Amino acid sequence: MKALTIAVNDLRRLFRDRTNVFFFFILPMLIILLLGAAFGGSDRARIGVAGGTGGPLALALTHALEAQPSVRVDRLGSEGSLRSAVARGRVEAGLVIPAGYDTDARAGQTVRLRYFARPDSIAQQLRATIESVVAGQSGLLGAARLVHSERGTPFAAALTRATAAAATVPAVRVSLSAPDGTAYPESQGSFSNGASTQLLLFIFLTSLTGSARLIEARRLGIARRMLSTPTSVRTILAGQTLGRLGVALLQALIIIAGSALFFGVGWGDPAGTAVVVVAFCLVGVGAGMLLGSALSNEEQAGAVAILLGLGLAALGGSMVPLEVFPPAVKTIAHLTPHAWGNDAFSSLLKHGGGLGDVLGNVGVLLAFAAVLIAAATWRLRRALTA
Amino acid sequence: MNDSVLSCTGLRKRFGDVQAVNGISFRIAAGETYGLLGPNGAGKTTTISIVCGLLEPDAGAVEVAGAPMTTRSVAAKAAIGYVPQDLAIYPDLTAAENLRFFARLYGIPSAQARERVAEVLEVVGLADRGDDQAQTYSGGMKRRLNIGIGLLHRPRLLVLDEPTVGVDPQSRNAILESVERLAGEGMAVLYTTHYMEEAERLCDRIGIVDLGELEAEGTRAELVALVGHHDRVLLQGVGDLDAGAHACAELEAVRAASVRDGAIELIVDNAREVLVELLQTAAAAGVAVGGVEMDEPDLEAVFLHLTGKALRD
Amino acid sequence: MHTALLIAGKDLRQRIRDRSAILLAFVVPFVLAAIFGLTLHDVGNGTVTFSFALVDQDHGPAARAFVANVLAPVEKQGLAHVRTEPTLAQGRKDADSGKVAATFVIPAGFSAAVASGGPAEVRVLGNVDEGIGSLVAHSLAQSYAGGVDGVRVAVAATGPQNPADARRLAALAGAAPRAVTIADVSTTRKELDPGTFYAAGMAVFFLFFTVQFGVVSILDERRDGTLARMFAAPIPRSAVLVGKLLTSVVLGIVSMTVLAFATHFVLGAHWGSPLGVAILIVCGVLAATAVMALVATLAKTPEQAGAWGSMVALVLAMLGGSFFSVAQAGGVIAALSLLTPHAWFLRGLGDLAGGAGAGAVLGPAAAILAFAVVTGGIALTRMGRLIEP
Repeated sequence: MKALTIAVNDLRRLFRDRTNVFFFFILPMLIILLLGAAFGGSDRARIGVAGGTGGPLALALTHALEAQPSVRVDRLGSEGSLRSAVARGRVEAGLVIPAGYDTDARAGQTVRLRYFARPDSIAQQLRATIESVVAGQSGLLGAARLVHSERGTPFAAALTRATAAAATVPAVRVSLSAPDGTAYPESQGSFSNGASTQLLLFIFLTSLTGSARLIEARRLGIARRMLSTPTSVRTILAGQTLGRLGVALLQALIIIAGSALFFGVGWGDPAGTAVVVVAFCLVGVGAGMLLGSALSNEEQAGAVAILLGLGLAALGGSMVPLEVFPPAVKTIAHLTPHAWGNDAFSSLLKHGGGLGDVLGNVGVLLAFAAVLIAAATWRLRRALTA
Repeated sequence: MNDSVLSCTGLRKRFGDVQAVNGISFRIAAGETYGLLGPNGAGKTTTISIVCGLLEPDAGAVEVAGAPMTTRSVAAKAAIGYVPQDLAIYPDLTAAENLRFFARLYGIPSAQARERVAEVLEVVGLADRGDDQAQTYSGGMKRRLNIGIGLLHRPRLLVLDEPTVGVDPQSRNAILESVERLAGEGMAVLYTTHYMEEAERLCDRIGIVDLGELEAEGTRAELVALVGHHDRVLLQGVGDLDAGAHACAELEAVRAASVRDGAIELIVDNAREVLVELLQTAAAAGVAVGGVEMDEPDLEAVFLHLTGKALRD
Repeated sequence: MHTALLIAGKDLRQRIRDRSAILLAFVVPFVLAAIFGLTLHDVGNGTVTFSFALVDQDHGPAARAFVANVLAPVEKQGLAHVRTEPTLAQGRKDADSGKVAATFVIPAGFSAAVASGGPAEVRVLGNVDEGIGSLVAHSLAQSYAGGVDGVRVAVAATGPQNPADARRLAALAGAAPRAVTIADVSTTRKELDPGTFYAAGMAVFFLFFTVQFGVVSILDERRDGTLARMFAAPIPRSAVLVGKLLTSVVLGIVSMTVLAFATHFVLGAHWGSPLGVAILIVCGVLAATAVMALVATLAKTPEQAGAWGSMVALVLAMLGGSFFSVAQAGGVIAALSLLTPHAWFLRGLGDLAGGAGAGAVLGPAAAILAFAVVTGGIALTRMGRLIEP
């Protein structure tokens, strides 16, 4: 089939240039590697604790923190190194347990822990978590104080009594569940969808930057030469579309397989994922072809491609998660195909959904693709035959 | 010696396995138009590059207007106007901007630069398009700008490297006329070409180069005289021309024989005397001769004589 | 020198005409920074206000205490906005639909259970798409529960003689100042707020594309023949090199400065002390020029230089934390990150963000300059080849 010939030739020229191999395949893996390393396999935030080994009470506090599933605790030696770690972003927040913690607590004095963090939403969550852990030990110490003041028992003994009592008094339970009562999904936090958002960013970006080659083909007169052969414009366009679609799908496959194999990234229901990926690849191809037929200067196309590729991705939730967008911006975000794709992956990954759950989003993506490809076809036809 | 604008002695340059220039020496006097005539690959452009200080020779020396020329020279370069074979202009600048930039590079003070740029635009006929970007020009106009840049600083020697290759006849004629005019005004010109007609039309003296060597040098008359009283005979015909040329070459009176443009070209001692014998020999070798031309040798014949090859391939 | 300036002037004139240069040096980084600023608006200001709902089926003192001691302060701080729902069904619907991040449910009989020391439960229904909000709600409830536990343990440990005594003890315990308090001493922050982080990250990322225009043009001119023309002119060859490097440096400084101002005035990014920022910008531009010059000396054609340059720019930006913070990656990656000028640039800005004076950037600036010197040195040894005949 002629379209296939055009597609294969396109790909051959594309990968003869070794730098394209880098951009298409190595770079996305690099990004996922970095993301994986930066945010860890799970999405637990990191808290630094200094002075947590001063005594049994301090140690107990540290242990209680470490037992929290939503955080990862780094024990640091001094307040100075803790401050530095928070400053550099190596940990999200820091808690300083003062040196005299055990002594002061046993003496019945109020102990002050020092806490510092960066003022963003993650830190709010961490503050709440730390508060709840501290509340536990604070309650115990408060109980000991009461025993001491009411019964005159020396503090150490009072603490023992309080500890014993704590074992017998049932704790008030706090349960977190989904609204329908089922378990709340495991991995939460801002970047659980890191791999899928980057996948969308990449497919779109490389499709757009590939538009420069379409322009080059026109400039070199190759497109016109193809037209002078007994090949219809439709076939030429089909060939170019096929070629680009093939590359996009291959890229997606490598990213998905690579991240799953090497970093244990989960991708949800296979059928659902496949459909979403194919639909989004079509969107990317359409966008790239439209850009390639609308512009005639390769360097400008490159700059515009970067602008649109990164800009739409950012707006669509592929860099900062949709979750933290202000409501108005979240609505605007859905003008981009990325938002719909990210929503679909959200369903698949967070809600454990299947094919049926993403059909709506896929429908929208296919609509995007149809419009873009149609526009590209019309524009290219004009450019070639004008 | 001191009135020569250019003096090259013993220039040599090797690129890898190829000895591009192999001991070329020549001089150009003030106001003289000197042509370097030779086929593609003869070493003309390499020689030009050395002369203009773009390339360091492996051996030999170049002096321009009394100043030594090397890749680092300043004084010598100020005396040369360079017009490369391929266009060397900034397409996204206007002709005026191109000229102004190079005027400043050549050290023309700003006040005079403006005037000079206007003059040059006039001379090359771009005065009315001077403020359009060069990429909007036709091929011929770009060539004229290319030459104009070489003229800005009123060089003692204008160097043109095959300026008419791939140029339409009208522009070509315009270029040749410009060069004639400049030469008429007293500028020395170094002109390389593989077109014999140009060399014959423009040049006071011609140096014939082949394979990096200067085979011969002199005025047209002097060069033709090298061929001696030899005549050129052209046998046009069909058949085995190579065999015919070969057979003719065996004859005593034939100095050189080659096949060119569907004809056998021969340099012979006395055409009239041997014509009949030539025709018979050619026929015997299987050539059906359709037409005969005889003329006095020209530069192509000179080249053929000197190198045994045709000037144009 | 004069010649170098001439050449740089000509180059800059060409660049201004070249729209892709304007796009990459100004438009694209600014627009991207704007988009980031938009999407991160709430996060950056720390004003993410969660929406919670409360379903109080108990109406008892414990429930009131929850509202007064936990929810009210949090609302006052602006951390959350709490709506009360009359029925559980309504509260469930709110959480399900995403109207609120989470719903607190205090079941009937809660206060009685607390007073009697029996088992009691607070439920949090969290919207599955609002992970952070749900976890914050969970933690708030846990804090409250911890407080209640504390009182119950205090009473039990003390051993009340009779219910009245128990109530008295409970009141005492509840009113007592907390044994362990947390003081938030977040003073100067050395990390940039997200809006500024992305403005700076994008600016320094695109800087590497911007400076390419100067140094790569040597390859363009070599191909177009105008380089030979310049060499035929009575100027020192080094002037061409200096001129091209100058073009890169000027473009880089202008681009970064305009971006700093634009993002500051239009997007509200806080770059810090002007002198400190200026020092960082100059050093950053020198480093970027040096890297791109090195790439240019290794490439054979301008297209190759462009492609390789893009690769280098991307990898350095990613490693250096221009796109996302790699500070937590630890180990090898954090170490590699410190090999990039990007990381030091952002670090320097971070130091300034705390309100420090220009002196704070001397360390990072030195690191960036070291990078410039090393890569620039290698580039210079190879530069000769570019301008040699």
